[in-house]
Amino acid sequence: MNREQMVEELSKIVGKENILSSETDLLLYGYDASLFKGKPDCIAFPGSTQEVSEIVRFCHREKIPVIARGSGTNLSGGTIPTKGGIILHFSRMNKVLEIDIENQRAVVETGLFTLALKNQLARHGYVYQPDPASEKVSTFGGNFAENSGGPHCLKYGVTTNHILGAEVVLSDGEVIQVGGKVLDAPGYDLTGILVGSEGTLGIATHLTLRIMPKSEAVKTMLAIYNSLEDAGRTVSAIIADGIVPATLEILDKLTIKAVEESVHAGFPLDAEAVLLIELDGLKDGMERLAERIMEICRKNNAREVKSAKTEAERTQLWAGRKGAFGAISRLRPNYLVCDGTVPRTKLPEVLAQVMEVSKKYGLTIANVFHAGDGNLHPLILFDERDEEELRKVHLAGSEIMKLCADAGGTISGEHGIGTEKMKEMFFVFSLQDIAAMRKVKKAFDPEDIYNPGKILPEVQT
Amino acid sequence: MGEGARDMPKTEKLVWRLKEIVGESHIIKEPDNLKDYGLDGKRPKVVVFPGTISEVSKVVAYANEQSLTLLPMGNGTKLGMGGIPQKMNVVLSTLRLNRMTDCDCDNLTLSAECGIPLGEAQKRLSQEGKGYFLPLDPPFTKKATLGGIVATNSSGPRRLLYGTARDLIIGTKAVFPNGDIVASGGKTVKNVSGYDMCKLLIGSYGTLGILCEITFKLLPLPERTATLLLPFVRLEEAVQFGREILQSQYLPSSIEILNEMVVKKIKPPIAQQGNYLVAIGLDGVAESIERQVSEIGERAKKKGALEIAVLASETHPSFWKAIQDFSEGLAEEGANFISFKSNFLISRCEEVMGSYEKIARESGVDCGLICHSGNGVLYSYVLAGKGVRSKKESLLNLIKEFSSVAVKNEGHLVVESAPPDIKKRIDVWGEPRGDYEIMRRLKKEIDPKGILNPGRFVGRI
Repeated sequence: MNREQMVEELSKIVGKENILSSETDLLLYGYDASLFKGKPDCIAFPGSTQEVSEIVRFCHREKIPVIARGSGTNLSGGTIPTKGGIILHFSRMNKVLEIDIENQRAVVETGLFTLALKNQLARHGYVYQPDPASEKVSTFGGNFAENSGGPHCLKYGVTTNHILGAEVVLSDGEVIQVGGKVLDAPGYDLTGILVGSEGTLGIATHLTLRIMPKSEAVKTMLAIYNSLEDAGRTVSAIIADGIVPATLEILDKLTIKAVEESVHAGFPLDAEAVLLIELDGLKDGMERLAERIMEICRKNNAREVKSAKTEAERTQLWAGRKGAFGAISRLRPNYLVCDGTVPRTKLPEVLAQVMEVSKKYGLTIANVFHAGDGNLHPLILFDERDEEELRKVHLAGSEIMKLCADAGGTISGEHGIGTEKMKEMFFVFSLQDIAAMRKVKKAFDPEDIYNPGKILPEVQT
Repeated sequence: MGEGARDMPKTEKLVWRLKEIVGESHIIKEPDNLKDYGLDGKRPKVVVFPGTISEVSKVVAYANEQSLTLLPMGNGTKLGMGGIPQKMNVVLSTLRLNRMTDCDCDNLTLSAECGIPLGEAQKRLSQEGKGYFLPLDPPFTKKATLGGIVATNSSGPRRLLYGTARDLIIGTKAVFPNGDIVASGGKTVKNVSGYDMCKLLIGSYGTLGILCEITFKLLPLPERTATLLLPFVRLEEAVQFGREILQSQYLPSSIEILNEMVVKKIKPPIAQQGNYLVAIGLDGVAESIERQVSEIGERAKKKGALEIAVLASETHPSFWKAIQDFSEGLAEEGANFISFKSNFLISRCEEVMGSYEKIARESGVDCGLICHSGNGVLYSYVLAGKGVRSKKESLLNLIKEFSSVAVKNEGHLVVESAPPDIKKRIDVWGEPRGDYEIMRRLKKEIDPKGILNPGRFVGRI
């Protein structure tokens, strides 16, 4: 079907004003926060589940790929149209449908920004726990599709632990409800398999989320180190002492420097690493635990440990962490964020190996990571106009994933597989594992309409 | 006679092949011994005890090739749950899969084979380092195996704080119907590599794959625990108090509401019984426990609690065990009972509990209620007494009414156990919902011959 016909058919569903198809538009919606590019046939902005369903029904009939998209912040090529098709953009579906304090649930449209809900919840003294770094603009649809993480996952789990139900448009246009406000619905946990499926199994239009009362108290600390390894060892030591903080985040020297140049979080420029620690919960006993943690930091050679005394100080420390990727991007034209995860105890040794990779390829690598989860984010800096450098970046990225897999970890902690890591799936999965996943894909989307060319590498069966 | 003769060669061949896989001493085939493995009037031809995952794989592959049905089983504590088996050729016991394969407390993870009873795993974990635990507290505390708990998504009172299997499991190794050993997830707490197949297997009642090895998140044992027992006269007061605590910043591990019948059976150490007992479990640091005990107690007194009884760390395990094992207690008494699990909106506890008591009263039967009031999950036990046959119609009517109350409150009713006369007449899972078609397609893709536990899951899957 040619583009004019496609636009005409879609116009009947969403109106001409809600379709984009100029050459510029196709370029703008052909990339995301990863290094990949593609080109859609057109972009549609549905305003309701019904419209999504009608578009999908049309695409199913005509065998046109459908790629759902929010803000395009994902880091693994999840929203890249690999085989053309229609981008379903959710920016018009951005309402909070219900905040149900009594039942501790919120219902949202999937185009809503994560932080927008949090701001509304704050008025009720409630929180939605997952906190992806891009939450200012990341949408719930994206969080759902990628099973986003964030610094607070150590204690509260990732997105999948907080999504309890969804309204889902299946690949033939049918609309179903999975899960819901109540727990333990009989039957297979379809919500569970859909979260993190990167738009390849179903497209969610509404989500039912778990919300919780805000913690009574928070305590944020910063430990400063002359060695990255000592910071890593502290993390293991805290956990071995029986304490599970809400957050344990590490930034290395290069990151500290970049952060200080852009957001001025107050990190010392000559430090090799800083460890950001946060406790939350009831105020009782928190001081004692904080003391114990600071003691552990000192024992592991922290040269200084300080704690935020005011909310402003806490915000400043966090600004350093949350602004880290942005700050790094000022150093070179491009960066690739790796997303390997290892058992927490393996952190120090894998970090050392990452540095070896940096040396081997002559690439600059900065490290910011969710240390408490064993989730590394080596950022490889480069200039994409330098083809030779770009080639090395891909090799180094893949090598880092291999290191993580070999250490008993995995190739993606929170950014997804997308188009970026399909080959690397074999680092962690066998042919049988992937064949089983393919059966799931077939049950949901036998015609391969939804986000083709993602997650599952082609295998001969 | 003729039929037996036709059967013989096939059964003999089966036994011969199974012996070849697992060895002669790991098979039960004598009719006298097989009767212990009967279920709902059906009996297997043979019980097989594979000792390794690779043996499970071989057994399953053979069964699939021969189109023989398999019923996976641990200690059989929850065998009565689910529909009547359509066919039952082979019982596959997981009891010899009983190794803790990777007890990595420093990383806060445990990988263990599925035939180990949870109680045994907990004992071992409590002795590691400073002491750890797997935060699941399902029924059948002595015998329930990890595999059975996960396959039935079994949970207990402390799910309020710690969540359920879907929040605690980060990896599985399962044998799929074609014999493939399929791994999913791993041993990192963040993992978005490929589809989250773990979620599909949790609570799937062995209809998609046979769980062989499971990786759980662990936690350090809490510094202190305590329980508050708060008897109330009226249901309304009890439920409202539970809700007040749920909405507060306190962090109880459980908020249970028990009715009089349950309280009479478990005999908690309180002077005044009241009609409804609110039991609040607390886990945490010493200071926070102290404050919560005193403040929650104070609040309860104001809201009409007849007394405030506090069970300290040493005395409270037996109280919670009695709640977890309530149905086992009834069974040991030889009571003839029907047990139910209902889920509904958290805000509707009072309505559901009140209605169930009224319906039971009108049907002239005793009914025990144990409600995870912070989760909207209720377990009910209807004592059918003697002569179930004569009461059959009235009991069937009661089930229908229980179900419609749950559905009205956005939930479901599942009949967890019932005498055969009743079970035959009902669908224990209730009416399938709009997401059933996808479940059926998943089952068909993964188990096209229908060899795994046929007929026992939602919609006769």
